[in-house]
Amino acid sequence: MARKGSLQSVLQLAVFAVVMFVFVSPASAIPAFARKYSLRCTACHEAWPVLNDFGRSFRDNGYQLRLGKDDTVTAEPGYWPVAVHVVPTYQYTKVTNQTTDQGVKDIGSGAVADAGMDLLMAGVLTKNISFLVVPTGFASDGNVHLESYWAYFTRVIKDSDWLNIRIGQHEVDLPASGHRPLSLSDNYVLYSYHPGVPGGSNLSAYDMGENQRGFEFLGHNATDLTRYSIDIFSAHDSLGSQNGLSSPSFYGHFQKFFRFKDGPISEAEVGVWGVEANYPTQFLTSGGVPIPGSGGNLQASTRYGVEANVWIGPTVAPLHLDLVYGHGSDKKGLLLTADGVTTADRNGTWNGGFFEAIWVPPTDMLHWSLFGRYDFVRNQNQPLLTAPSNYNNVDQWTLGVIYTFAYSIRDEVAFHAEVSSNKAKGIGYAGLDQRTDNLMLGVDFAY
Amino acid sequence: MFYHVARLIPAFAGLLLMMGSATAADVGDVATGKLVYERYCMSCHGEQGNGEGEAAEYMSIKPRDYRQGTFKWRSTPSGSLPLDSDLEHTLLNGLYATYMPTWKVLDERSRRDVIAYIKTFSPRFTTEKPQDPIVIPPDPGYSDASVKRGGAVYQKYNCSQCHGAGGQGDGPSAHELKDDWGNAIVPYDLTKGHVKCGDQSTDIYRVFMAGLSGTPMPTFADSLSPTDAWDLVHFIQSLSPGYAKNFAGTVASTGDHQ
Repeated sequence: MARKGSLQSVLQLAVFAVVMFVFVSPASAIPAFARKYSLRCTACHEAWPVLNDFGRSFRDNGYQLRLGKDDTVTAEPGYWPVAVHVVPTYQYTKVTNQTTDQGVKDIGSGAVADAGMDLLMAGVLTKNISFLVVPTGFASDGNVHLESYWAYFTRVIKDSDWLNIRIGQHEVDLPASGHRPLSLSDNYVLYSYHPGVPGGSNLSAYDMGENQRGFEFLGHNATDLTRYSIDIFSAHDSLGSQNGLSSPSFYGHFQKFFRFKDGPISEAEVGVWGVEANYPTQFLTSGGVPIPGSGGNLQASTRYGVEANVWIGPTVAPLHLDLVYGHGSDKKGLLLTADGVTTADRNGTWNGGFFEAIWVPPTDMLHWSLFGRYDFVRNQNQPLLTAPSNYNNVDQWTLGVIYTFAYSIRDEVAFHAEVSSNKAKGIGYAGLDQRTDNLMLGVDFAY
Repeated sequence: MFYHVARLIPAFAGLLLMMGSATAADVGDVATGKLVYERYCMSCHGEQGNGEGEAAEYMSIKPRDYRQGTFKWRSTPSGSLPLDSDLEHTLLNGLYATYMPTWKVLDERSRRDVIAYIKTFSPRFTTEKPQDPIVIPPDPGYSDASVKRGGAVYQKYNCSQCHGAGGQGDGPSAHELKDDWGNAIVPYDLTKGHVKCGDQSTDIYRVFMAGLSGTPMPTFADSLSPTDAWDLVHFIQSLSPGYAKNFAGTVASTGDHQ
């Protein structure tokens, strides 16, 4: 029992760490493009930082407008492809049913967060070759790491937009970007969820929202917005196996858009997506320590699902509804029980998704954005036959409002207020549910 | 549960396709067009449509002042208001080598709405009607002989005074030109393989006959014969391999090529 309590504490800390991580996770908006092309942030962002059709097309085209002014030598001499993004916020977080030496406790704490900074460097190197490099961190711990770094080759075959190739560390083409959520206090549960083994661990660290190192093959049609993306990558946070790609993984995404000339719905989209991320489960060792790159017996974390988006009202000031639903599975070989050696009884499977609403009221200058989201996960097969069927089921909701004081061709600054609540079944002290509540008030600015 | 949801996708897609077949309204909504304008256009063209947006002072080619109702790209004769389809042409294609990008990614409804709003900046749209589009005869086809004749037309009409002997926009008057608002403007470098108002041969022909209102590029509709105009088109096309050339000739095109 004591051991179970200890492991639950670790799990609670992990949940808290995830919460704190997403507090400072970046939302990419790149004012350098606004400076280069003299367009306001609103040209590319439905509600900052969520991309609209124009922004998505601009990104797919390798940050080019293709009117003879993309190349660095044709841009104004003062242009420098660097932007800074910082989100100073006050945050209050309360986590219930935590295990302490003093017994089960609810712990709440607030502070102005130790925010980091994103340096967003992106642009066009030469015609049809673009880049993105994003060092992020710079918080009080002094750590900086490269969140993204890639080169992107567009129109690889003549003037066709159907084959573009990206190489480097990048976000796969998710139904809704994990790096561009409107919410700052939490993230899409679907992307990072793994079925739980009480007191155990998981050899798969796969998180759909994490950037991956690999190759992306992307195609799109600028007129009807049909898109596909196929990604071949080595999954993040893997010790690596003896394969050409050390943690070989594959992601695919297809989207079809529909536009309506009249009626309340102006645009809609349906799509399918799926991923198989393979992690090694057996390693050669040295002194008992696994040797990186020596792994074998690959086991898969699999996710696949569908999506649908509807834009009600004009696309320029829409009520945007987004539904993403998926099925997830982690092979039992990835799921270790509390002893760290024995694997689970069976594959862990679950269903989950989110429903998100974004509303840009049709007011002058489009200052306001309101959003809400409900995330959920329901386990289908618990990895341990003895576990409660609803163990680690998750319900999460988020509500927020953004008021953009100013957006120009140079910068953007917005007030951001948000509340969220996450409830996970049975992961708290002695199998109690655990709830994490957040309040966040802050300023989100980039220049 | 997953499979139940998955089965709904084809039905949902079918429903969307049916909804997409709805008939389009012809007239844009001015109120929504204002929002479109604020989101995409205002940084250059200004809140008042006067071409004095926040970005304008940094631009070597100034954004258009909408208040006069003069537009570069028109299918209508010089001096006339443009058709809505002309304004949409500019939205769809942009203006190459300027800061005006292509907005073809925008949905048709947004384009329609913003055109309706842009027209509110000039009272001319309430008091005048656009003239009929100019008629563009068939392209007789690109040939060496036509290029040679076009070179002579280029000299005869003194195009080199602005565009230079080699078409590179470096003629003797190149640095003295101003637009209707007094802003310095340079002649287009025709050797780039793109023309500001469209790369089709009919686009180039149209520029000769309709002119580029608001710029020093005049109309030659009263002096240039259609045969000479086509030869001149072919001469310009010979200046760069970037131009798509039609060696076989084309069927006639009217001004409305949407």
